[in-house]
Amino acid sequence: MPELLAFVLLLAITAYSTAGGVDFGAGIWDLLAGTTRPGREARALIDHAMAPVWEVNNVWLVLAIVLCWTAFPPLFQATFADLYPLFTLALIGLVLRGAFFAFRHVADSPRAHRVADLVFGVSSVLTPFFFAASLGAIASGRVGHGVGQACLNPMALAFGLVSVAATAFSGASFLVGDARRYRAPEMVAYFRRRVIASGFGLIAIGTISLLVIGLEAPSLLRSMLLGAGLPFALVTVVLTPVVMWLAWRGLFRGNRVLTVAAVGSLVFAWAFAQSPYLLPGKLTIEQAIAPPGTRAVLLAVTVVLVLVVVPAMGLLYYLDQRNTLESP
Amino acid sequence: MGDVIDPLWLAGGALLPSRIQMAFTLATHVLLVPLGVAFPALTLLMEGIGLFRKDPVALKIARRWSVVMAVQFAVGAVTGTILSFEFGILWPRLMGRFGPALGLGFAIEGLAFFLEAIFIGIYLYGWRRLSPRAHFLLGLALPPVGVLGAASVLSANSFMNTPGGITLQAGRVVDVDPIAALFTPALGYEFWHFIVAIYMTAGFAVASVYAVAWLRGRRDHYQRLAFAVPFTIAAALTPVQLVIGDLSARALVQDQPAKFAAIEVTWTTRDHNPEVIGGFIDSAGQVHLGIAVPSLDSLLVGYSPNAVIHGLSSFAANARPSAVEASIAHLAFDAMVGLGSAGALLAAWYFLTLVRKRRLPESVWFYRLASLAGVGCYLAVEVGWVTTEVGRQPWIVYGLMRVSDAVTDAPAAYVWTMLATLVVIYALIAYFFVTLLTRLGSRWRDEDAPEEGAPYGPRPRRFEPDA
Repeated sequence: MPELLAFVLLLAITAYSTAGGVDFGAGIWDLLAGTTRPGREARALIDHAMAPVWEVNNVWLVLAIVLCWTAFPPLFQATFADLYPLFTLALIGLVLRGAFFAFRHVADSPRAHRVADLVFGVSSVLTPFFFAASLGAIASGRVGHGVGQACLNPMALAFGLVSVAATAFSGASFLVGDARRYRAPEMVAYFRRRVIASGFGLIAIGTISLLVIGLEAPSLLRSMLLGAGLPFALVTVVLTPVVMWLAWRGLFRGNRVLTVAAVGSLVFAWAFAQSPYLLPGKLTIEQAIAPPGTRAVLLAVTVVLVLVVVPAMGLLYYLDQRNTLESP
Repeated sequence: MGDVIDPLWLAGGALLPSRIQMAFTLATHVLLVPLGVAFPALTLLMEGIGLFRKDPVALKIARRWSVVMAVQFAVGAVTGTILSFEFGILWPRLMGRFGPALGLGFAIEGLAFFLEAIFIGIYLYGWRRLSPRAHFLLGLALPPVGVLGAASVLSANSFMNTPGGITLQAGRVVDVDPIAALFTPALGYEFWHFIVAIYMTAGFAVASVYAVAWLRGRRDHYQRLAFAVPFTIAAALTPVQLVIGDLSARALVQDQPAKFAAIEVTWTTRDHNPEVIGGFIDSAGQVHLGIAVPSLDSLLVGYSPNAVIHGLSSFAANARPSAVEASIAHLAFDAMVGLGSAGALLAAWYFLTLVRKRRLPESVWFYRLASLAGVGCYLAVEVGWVTTEVGRQPWIVYGLMRVSDAVTDAPAAYVWTMLATLVVIYALIAYFFVTLLTRLGSRWRDEDAPEEGAPYGPRPRRFEPDA
């Protein structure tokens, strides 16, 4: 059961990385859209596509953090004791993003609107960067060596950059789908180009990151390439170009599922390679797990989550999709 | 750094700024809770009235309320996320040690929060895309989910006040009885006291908007309905709350005697203990400026002047609230009781008019007071929360862990900086929030303005690139 709870925690992190990542990615494209006519159009599309579900995405984050402190208290304590600067920055980014996303619906003057756009866009880059950087810091094995060593290390930087590339990639891929649903062919072409560009970016940054991991945490790289992480690493390596190729050919069937699988596998590849360690070399799942009574409640919560939340969420997405498919 | 003396604000390490930051962010979040948890029930009631009586005005009110509900929920989600991170950033040792027990409530809250987010989405999206009946029935999920969320957070708070269900070995939690840890003694009264408080607050707060409309001269069906429904609920709950509040205070005598002593600024253990109203206590145990009603405290607690009340001095100095903390808890408690009593008088006025004249009150003074009732209730929630949190000091988990033992090792300057940043961000959010609400309000004064187009609400049906 300890492994099961660790897996649930991983699922929450992955859900946030993929579902939340799509939103962050949209924010990144918003930032890069500029003031040209297609840029304005892209921004309007992003606004339209994002409005309904962002706080549902946020819930994954809360769930992950709650699960972490309840099921694996020593992991929570050690991680926050050393990585609090990264979490603070991510948190501030997250809040600014939400606030200014709302604000741009209210902003009157063009200047206020531009400021809101800018803050929203910049925090969409910084938030995933710092969240992923904290995972990189954990993977580096330096949590427990003090704040400076844990936060400022190449692995944190590498994970952060990979996540920015990955969110841009998945954001673009989902926006292609949104543009199609809204029957905006120009926007379909616009975001197709961005899927391909950010896909190349992701591959480049991902390759460099593997080198960084090899230098900083060779045993992690070994199990990513030869051990438990391998299947997932392979899925990412294969699917990323597939998504790009589909975008290039203008084929859209299943591109969302494939995108989620590509990005999600990235998270899985790291986590499985690192298991059974929560903190490499220091703390295993078995050592950190809470007493049995606590596990039982968490398991029950998980079961209810699957039985109730999944269908409810399905209904929400169904209603959202039906809306946009309706003829006016 | 040996010879350099730290300035006062850095002297105690991160403890002071961490406490201020936690107090600031919690005080803000608690303002969003009443509408977050109780507004859906009011909205559904209004929708139910609309459907049952085929009243389009009631349905319009419900639709507009649901928009406010969504915006408010989004802001609450943000401030709630901040709080969950603060447990790690400010108090890493609290969860590091008590996470397996204290976390249980939060895990259930996570589930409730999830359901709430989804069902609020469904409710907003469903107005046009579901049959009225299906929409209403799906909406019925919201009030219980909100109550579940509040109950689980209160369960965590109760654990901090009256911890139970854990086996400790060398300070480490080695075994957890989840039922006992979730349902600690304080939960019984904390739950009812708080749930009733937030329903009252939501009712009075929503009604106060339409009391202002009445004062501005609006007297139509829309105003009457939107005022009367929430006000009636809140007013009916007010006497209930007086009883529950009394029971809660009485339970403290047993469960948290140091907190009770602080609330009553009682220094020495004695019978014929007076009830002190107002005033403060100094570190020598002297009470200043208060009005003391002889023996009343003993009478209230034990129904007899001979009832013995424990005083602060019967607890070790490092295990009881300081004089300043006791004074704060005492004044906050008095303010809460005062506000609650004022609310009860207003409720009595309302029901007397209703019963004797068979119509809503028409006195300008009634509506002036009613328009203040919302603010009064929010104040009461704040001071009630101050009472329970400050009254527990110096403990973060009563008797088991001090606040000073849970605090982060981060430098004080870091926490001060974070606090300052958060204050600025919260001010911005508050500004956006108020701007948005006043804008919606002025748009809706124009009778047929649509409810669409607010952030987090349903989008206009069509995507128009240059809109």
